[in-house]
Amino acid sequence: MSSEVFKDATRMSGGRASDEAIVTMEGVYKRFKDFEALKNINFQVGKQEVVVVIGPSGSGKSTLIRCINRLEEHDDGRIIVDGTELTTDVRNIQEIRKETGMVFQSFNLFPHLTVLANIALAPRQVRGMPKAEAEALARELLERVKIPEQADKFPAQLSGGQQQRVAIARSLAMKPKVMLFDEPTSALDPEMINEVLDAIKQLAQEGMTMVVVTHEMGFAKEVADRVVFMADGEIVEVGTPSEIFDNPKEERTQKFLAQIL
Amino acid sequence: MITWLRRNLFRTWWDSIMTVVFGYVGLWVIWTVIEFVFVTGRWEIIQVNLKLLLVGRFPDELMWLVGASLTALAFWVAAVAGGSKIDISNRQSLSQRLFDYIRRFGLIVALAALLIFLAADVAALLLALQILGGVVAGRLVGLARRNVGVLGAIPSIIWHPMLASPAVALVLVTLMESTLEEWGGFLINFYMAIISIVLCFPLGVLLALGRRSSFPIIRLVTTTYIELIRGAPLFVLLLLAGVALEFFIPPSIAPDAIFRGVTVFTLFTAAYLAEIVRGGLQSIPKGQTEAGKALGLNTTKITYLITMPQALRNVIPAQIGQFISLFKDTTLAGAALNILDVLNVGTAITKQQDFLGQGLIYEALAFVALLFWVGSYVMSRESQRLEKRLGVGVR
Repeated sequence: MSSEVFKDATRMSGGRASDEAIVTMEGVYKRFKDFEALKNINFQVGKQEVVVVIGPSGSGKSTLIRCINRLEEHDDGRIIVDGTELTTDVRNIQEIRKETGMVFQSFNLFPHLTVLANIALAPRQVRGMPKAEAEALARELLERVKIPEQADKFPAQLSGGQQQRVAIARSLAMKPKVMLFDEPTSALDPEMINEVLDAIKQLAQEGMTMVVVTHEMGFAKEVADRVVFMADGEIVEVGTPSEIFDNPKEERTQKFLAQIL
Repeated sequence: MITWLRRNLFRTWWDSIMTVVFGYVGLWVIWTVIEFVFVTGRWEIIQVNLKLLLVGRFPDELMWLVGASLTALAFWVAAVAGGSKIDISNRQSLSQRLFDYIRRFGLIVALAALLIFLAADVAALLLALQILGGVVAGRLVGLARRNVGVLGAIPSIIWHPMLASPAVALVLVTLMESTLEEWGGFLINFYMAIISIVLCFPLGVLLALGRRSSFPIIRLVTTTYIELIRGAPLFVLLLLAGVALEFFIPPSIAPDAIFRGVTVFTLFTAAYLAEIVRGGLQSIPKGQTEAGKALGLNTTKITYLITMPQALRNVIPAQIGQFISLFKDTTLAGAALNILDVLNVGTAITKQQDFLGQGLIYEALAFVALLFWVGSYVMSRESQRLEKRLGVGVR
């Protein structure tokens, strides 16, 4: 089934984190009026790599990943996604958004559409897929996130965890090359966090390239290939989970981890 | 019963006094109205002038056109009203549904019965049956569209023009066939309202989008338009439309009063509608647009697939309220543009020789008010129903 969904699922074989970068950020700055949200960000995400971004609130984590699909416009530096540089050119932006999926903290499902229509919308409208094919794809994706029986309900009839899994399925329907997760479990009741994390883990195992902003340190340890620690709009430290969690070099990282662990 | 009385009406001294005073006033008002309607009211004036009140001096040989266009309108509305899928699992019982129908359409049926009774001729009865036939046919077509696969496959962009075309065509033919001096009565109010509602809706939506546009010039133009129109009293605009056009256009080719009336109502209501729709758009969380963007949808598609459907649904009550006030405001056109609308006819008939100086203005005004009240009440009820069915506030 997943071979249908991911034509390039074969990339599961072999080692992860190949040299080929899907997302490249070079000297990226982002300012909101006088406030510098991102300062000189240099950062790469390789194919099939899972990067988890952690850091205190207000440190620019969300802004970082929102710049990757141009929900925020960066002020300086270069961002290249899958070989296309983000410029003011609308076509480039559209192109990049087609290749990146995003899952939001607050789900942002379309409340006036059924679950099935939520998922089938983008393939039909952006990729021009026929209705029947798009709905078949949507059902397949619902199967993957383990809620096939909810297809004809409306988002408000689902629990938070189910809604977030629909949101994941909705992003996957565009067959993106990289998935961005913006605190996907922060708005969930504790008992629903795991079902969503499991869905994300499963994606990671299938070789999806992902950037995940999260406060779930256990998840980060388990799934991440690399962990990025951010504070005050800067990348303070990057390393493997064991480097960051067990042996942080920077003082700010040590402080942050001491506070939350 | 006694406990209920004591709890709700006579709980304290103050409550008791209020109950007695308002009870007395209420009973007195009801008694006076009943007495007026059934005892002192002299309804011959309505009966004699019924046709004048409803359609003016509309030529008899063209009356079939009025009947046909009303039937087509009824067909259209009935076909569209049954538009969405009905959940078969929670079907109500027959008696419940019957009760529901009576609550929804009882008033209209009662008014129709009253008019037929007043007209006391077969033609009126036939007309009523014809319109009922239109409703039933529309209902059946609507059901067929939902339940027959082949018909359901036809996209709505073809369906809706198909359903609307007979009504639109017949209304246009009616407008062209009869000279407008002959027009009058409630038919004018009804047509002005319907045409303005149909025209002002798309205009209002466009204006709302214009006001939120990212192009400053479009924003400036639409904002200026909306604020100018909303700043002026409707009556003044109607009077202006009556005289100002002569500055620009020679009277010989100047459009007639009804056309001017419709234009003013359309432009006026569109400005208000624009603000209502804009409010609706603003109530949609930013995350909806962001989710659309993240999926790669362009701005146009985000608007008409994601934000606009939600916005319009959220503002149904306010929209219908605007339409109701447009419907009632059509009487202003009578005063401002010398159109023989139902109110003008109503006051004019009290000056007929047979009724002159008998103080029958009460009867005439009561009848006019009744026509508008039934229309407005049904619209408001149906809007509540629509709101519930689309699940505002639930989803």
